[in-house]
Amino acid sequence: MDYSQEPHGLFFMIDNKSFYASVESVERGLNPLESVIVVMSEADNTGSGLVLAASPMAKKLFGISNVSRQYEVPRDPRILVVPPRMNLYIRKNLLINRIFRDYVADADLFPYSIDESILDMTKSWRLFGETPEAVARQIQVRIRHELGLYTTVGIGENPTQAKLALDLQAKHDHELIGRLTYADFPEHIWPITDLTKVWSIGHRTAAHLNRLGIHSMGDLAHVNPYALQQEMGVIGGQLFALAWGIDRSQLTQIRPAKEKSWSNSQVLPRDYHQQRAIELVLREIAQQVIARMRHHHQQTACVSLSVGFAWDGKADDGRSGLHHTRRIEPTDNAQTIIRELVTLFREHWSGQAVRNLAVGLSRLSASGHVQLDLFQNPQRQLKDDRFDRLIDDLRDRFGKTAVIPASSLLPGGTMLSRAALVGGHNGGNSYD
Amino acid sequence: MGGIAMIDEQAETKLILTRLAPLFTAQWHCQYRIDVVNNPYGAAINFFLDIRRTHHRERSIPLHTVATQDLEVLERVVWGIRQETALTLNFVNFGHVRWPISQRWIR
Repeated sequence: MDYSQEPHGLFFMIDNKSFYASVESVERGLNPLESVIVVMSEADNTGSGLVLAASPMAKKLFGISNVSRQYEVPRDPRILVVPPRMNLYIRKNLLINRIFRDYVADADLFPYSIDESILDMTKSWRLFGETPEAVARQIQVRIRHELGLYTTVGIGENPTQAKLALDLQAKHDHELIGRLTYADFPEHIWPITDLTKVWSIGHRTAAHLNRLGIHSMGDLAHVNPYALQQEMGVIGGQLFALAWGIDRSQLTQIRPAKEKSWSNSQVLPRDYHQQRAIELVLREIAQQVIARMRHHHQQTACVSLSVGFAWDGKADDGRSGLHHTRRIEPTDNAQTIIRELVTLFREHWSGQAVRNLAVGLSRLSASGHVQLDLFQNPQRQLKDDRFDRLIDDLRDRFGKTAVIPASSLLPGGTMLSRAALVGGHNGGNSYD
Repeated sequence: MGGIAMIDEQAETKLILTRLAPLFTAQWHCQYRIDVVNNPYGAAINFFLDIRRTHHRERSIPLHTVATQDLEVLERVVWGIRQETALTLNFVNFGHVRWPISQRWIR
């Protein structure tokens, strides 16, 4: 393989070791690598409880993994269980990224998730050390020193290599640093046979590859890429590139989304059977999505509704849910949109128990004016519009729960209990 | 916080006690303890309620964070808490130092 035409930069992918659990350890004066700590979310819809993060020792001693359920965690007094504080983790993430900014220009820093960032060190690494490893070490020491947290660094010539170096090497390295170059792939990546270990390959893709006779990354590197692309589509070509460590993405070139849309989904705290209760939550979710869209001064011409059934509520034909979309006249009026959604729901729902609801608004356009409908009272339409805008203003100024529909107080409504959550989990105490 | 923020010690004490009240349910075979942690990385003092029950996992619930490392402020907050509850206070990461007002050892 001729790599001379491929990008040869220097990228760091840095993540925090068991981020939430580490933050909670530090807050309690414990060492993140020695404490046995489990961050458990007990939000309404996580059932008995869901492990959001487990410290390295908790993973090692008790085999607890993230997204374990409460009942899978042994009842052992050595395990310390703590509730999540999402706002605290967001603050810590911002502090960590502030440290990264001392090493790269703002334009070369790409936060990837709440505990991972990509740093394009191509232009700046020589300012800080003799070797990339030395620079990585320096960043690790600073974060440990200033925030008490341990970080893992993957180094590569492009972002994909850095990510693979992080996942496959750094996490098992006692210095917590891993490095890959194009030349390393045959030796370090091709022997991998558990394909799901590799970033971007899930168990479905792995099964598909296995069916094609591909059982290792080496096999993947030696298939005919055109045949693979024929079989799997665009992803086929990408997987082939992955096996050779090739990544031509330019992170600074932001690709605009083809079509933006607004959506929101919710896992319900229990199975919902009653039409009235389901429609109540549907309205609440719709309100939230519409508010977000209106905040950006947009209107929608297409509403979509997804309903996920409870396990026992599967339809006779084995469906696990339904998804329907409908074109409407462009509008940002909450009542109209909700009416469409409820109609859609009534048309297609036939009594199954519901556990999952999602609402989406797409085909967006700028809304600067009210399009009056010829067949309705114009005064009424103007009044509705003013009413919606007033509610928006009130919520902007005094918070999401400043005004709520009285129906949200009915049993089954989830809006009030979810208002304080961040990303679906406890945000932590206020005034901290 | 940052800067010289004035800390209302009584309000801090009250906040901690109101959060403590619903959590301290005084069950049998259950140890309750308030952890007071000096967190040098956050330049703040964290308060947690620690609950240990036989055959159960230990639990630690955040009560509040006082954004100061001034021991005099902390001493007054702690004094306020001790007036209202007899729970054990466990001081973490303070080293071997005395309270500035009473001159007793911090422990």
